[in-house]
Amino acid sequence: MKLQSLLKTALITGALAVSSSVLADNFPSKPLSMVIGWGAGGSTDIQGRVLANVMSEHLGQPVNVINRPGAGGAVALQQLVNSRDQGHTFVFGTSMSVTFGPLATPTNFDVDSFTYVAGVTLGQSAIVTGADKPYSNWAEFLEYAKANPGTSYASQLPFDRLLIDYIAKKEGLDLRIVPTSGGAGMAPLILSGDVDFAYSGGTHSGYAKTGEMPVLASLADDRLVAFPDAPTLRELGYEIDPGEIRVVMVPKNTPENQVERLAEVLKLATQDPRFIEITEERILMPVVYMDGDEVHENLSNQVEGFKAIIEELGGLSS
Amino acid sequence: MPEFSVFYSAFATALSWESITVILGGVLLGYIVGVIPGLNRAVAIAIAIPLTFYMSPYAAISFLIGLSKGTAAGSAVSAILLNTPGESSSAATCLDGYPMARDGRPRTALKIGLLASVIGDLLATLLLIAVAIPFASVALKFGPYELAAILIFALVFIAGMAGGSFLKGMAAGGLGIVLGTVGMDPETGAMRLTFGYMELMEGVPILPLVIGTLALSEMFVQLDEYRRNKGQSAINLTENQNDDLKWSEFKTTLPTIFKGTAIGAFVGALPGLGPSVGSFMSYGAAKRSAKNPDTFGKGDPRGIAASESADNAVIPASYIPLFGLGIPGSVSAALLVGAFMIHGITVGPLMLREQPEMLFSLFSGMIVASLLMLAIGWYGLRIFAKITNIPSHIVIPIVIFLCLAGIQVQGYGTFGLLVVFGFSILGFFLKKFDYSFVTFLVAFIVTPMLELNLRQSIILSGSDVGILLDRPIAAFFVVLTIILLVRFAWTGIQQRKKSLPNAD
Repeated sequence: MKLQSLLKTALITGALAVSSSVLADNFPSKPLSMVIGWGAGGSTDIQGRVLANVMSEHLGQPVNVINRPGAGGAVALQQLVNSRDQGHTFVFGTSMSVTFGPLATPTNFDVDSFTYVAGVTLGQSAIVTGADKPYSNWAEFLEYAKANPGTSYASQLPFDRLLIDYIAKKEGLDLRIVPTSGGAGMAPLILSGDVDFAYSGGTHSGYAKTGEMPVLASLADDRLVAFPDAPTLRELGYEIDPGEIRVVMVPKNTPENQVERLAEVLKLATQDPRFIEITEERILMPVVYMDGDEVHENLSNQVEGFKAIIEELGGLSS
Repeated sequence: MPEFSVFYSAFATALSWESITVILGGVLLGYIVGVIPGLNRAVAIAIAIPLTFYMSPYAAISFLIGLSKGTAAGSAVSAILLNTPGESSSAATCLDGYPMARDGRPRTALKIGLLASVIGDLLATLLLIAVAIPFASVALKFGPYELAAILIFALVFIAGMAGGSFLKGMAAGGLGIVLGTVGMDPETGAMRLTFGYMELMEGVPILPLVIGTLALSEMFVQLDEYRRNKGQSAINLTENQNDDLKWSEFKTTLPTIFKGTAIGAFVGALPGLGPSVGSFMSYGAAKRSAKNPDTFGKGDPRGIAASESADNAVIPASYIPLFGLGIPGSVSAALLVGAFMIHGITVGPLMLREQPEMLFSLFSGMIVASLLMLAIGWYGLRIFAKITNIPSHIVIPIVIFLCLAGIQVQGYGTFGLLVVFGFSILGFFLKKFDYSFVTFLVAFIVTPMLELNLRQSIILSGSDVGILLDRPIAAFFVVLTIILLVRFAWTGIQQRKKSLPNAD
């Protein structure tokens, strides 16, 4: 009896192992789709396309890039949650879409709805300003903004709007907040001086050498690589860790060995000179390899922090 | 200003084999579409956009521009041989082209039409390149106030100029604006008019909209006409020795061609007027200035030259506001914006700063397209003359199939099909009741940009209209818009007064 059941278990596990190894051998058995929740030409897209190329070489299947912009990356994720494509479709995106997104808008997902394959890059977003402004650091800026009610700020995401609302409340600022669409919409406003300061996801890094877009504060967990003089929010006395991670995500139902296969390939990609070049030289963000569990823990903590701020503000303004 | 090396590599890109093949394909397809009376430019571009999904952005746009240019040249063939213009813009070509062909000189007529087309196209392309770049470098300095003012001006201008009735134009534009606001609010994130459809969160998908309103609805219109009109047969090319174009004869049409190009380029650069206005204006001008206006309408080669040179000059010139300001002034330019968007490029002055290579490659590709047009038209004369005889009952089902297949390629699924059918019915009635199509489409395309800039302006200025005093360019366009509105309304009232007694 015992032997029989043991045998049964062995057989079943054996069969499972075989079937999963068959699956693993077959994976990927067809072209993959990398869904990017941002428009083509943005920094996520530029980087994603190179990553897709490198991945496709290691996987032996084409990796097609699909742009599904909208709602700060949420449109792409809403579709991913329901995907039954077993890892053939995955999202390359910014962690903000899973951490803050669900808090701001009704979504069918939250931070725990996905399997994080790996984090490959640390975000370098920042609060930026224009070149010919009467202030050059955060302290001077606060002084200016307090003296000039109606100082204008260009917002791109519900997240940075929350951040600014929080800072404005703490410092007693009266701001005019204008919506813009992405870095391409923000840049002309800052360069022309029409707007006093703005959120920037990564666009500012391209202006690091010309100095046309100085950084007032780093929105990463550490100081920015290209602007080491700008302090982090924590250094400035705000209890926020908004540090973004660029991650590859798959639906929860994806078989583990397929996630592992993708993670393996991502690890190789983070060592690939082309991916390093596009990330560190072009969009100026540091390449890292952060395994899936670590990413998940980090992001869960962020969500708790954001919830606390929202509570302090008495809900999200919209 | 970009460096010289950018120009060099742009030409290298445009002259690569891949690029020439793609442009050749585009021009050839455009030529065929132009020749076939039932198919027009807008239909062709709308159903060709899905074909370009798998091309590089440069190849895709060059293909579509080549296609657009080809239709303008090809449409002369059916105008001359069939007395039915392949595009409505070649209607003026029929006036002298058909009589000339009937008199036993179809080949001569076709060659004059072709040469006028190519010269008009090439010169207008050069003008586009010369004008768009300085235009864009000025427009780069525009802020939200200027952009909002210019966009509103352009919409009012198009509404007034494009259709017969200003009110109908405004109604069509209003419908386009409402459809353009569907989706997530850029400031608050609220859902607008999405009716719970996730698919509408990013707005009404552009491809099903254009395929529905432009292509599929046009096929319904064609079917409707086909029931009444079973078509007629074309004049065949004969082996007549006297039927060939001689230099001495062509020489006499050259002044007309240059004048036609100038008129076409002017009309093209203004948003909303379109090639039909250009070709008729040019024809009228040629006839008026001729010493012997009686020969017009009886097979005068200058009639063909005037109409075709202007018709073709309109196309490249209509890209001036597109590349210079990001504002599409015609249906084909609006479709190009859609194609750019699908390939992830925001067309407009920012291209000059961020993708100068792409921009100059496209310009070089346009010159290549002009030259290929000459070669295709010259050597394909016989074949195209045969194509005019393809009956509608073959063309219509093929186009309907391509419309629906195109939606599936993009991956819109059932939702896309619903949208296509919905918009094809809308398009059918817009056409039947003569609502301005350009206004509708351009309004839909520019609304997101207009809305964002307008809201930015309102917030930044603290809702203070006085800001316009500091912004002379924006103020200028606001005043111009008001003048236009008053003028259009005035002429509308006058027309109504005139038409009322007749109705009684």
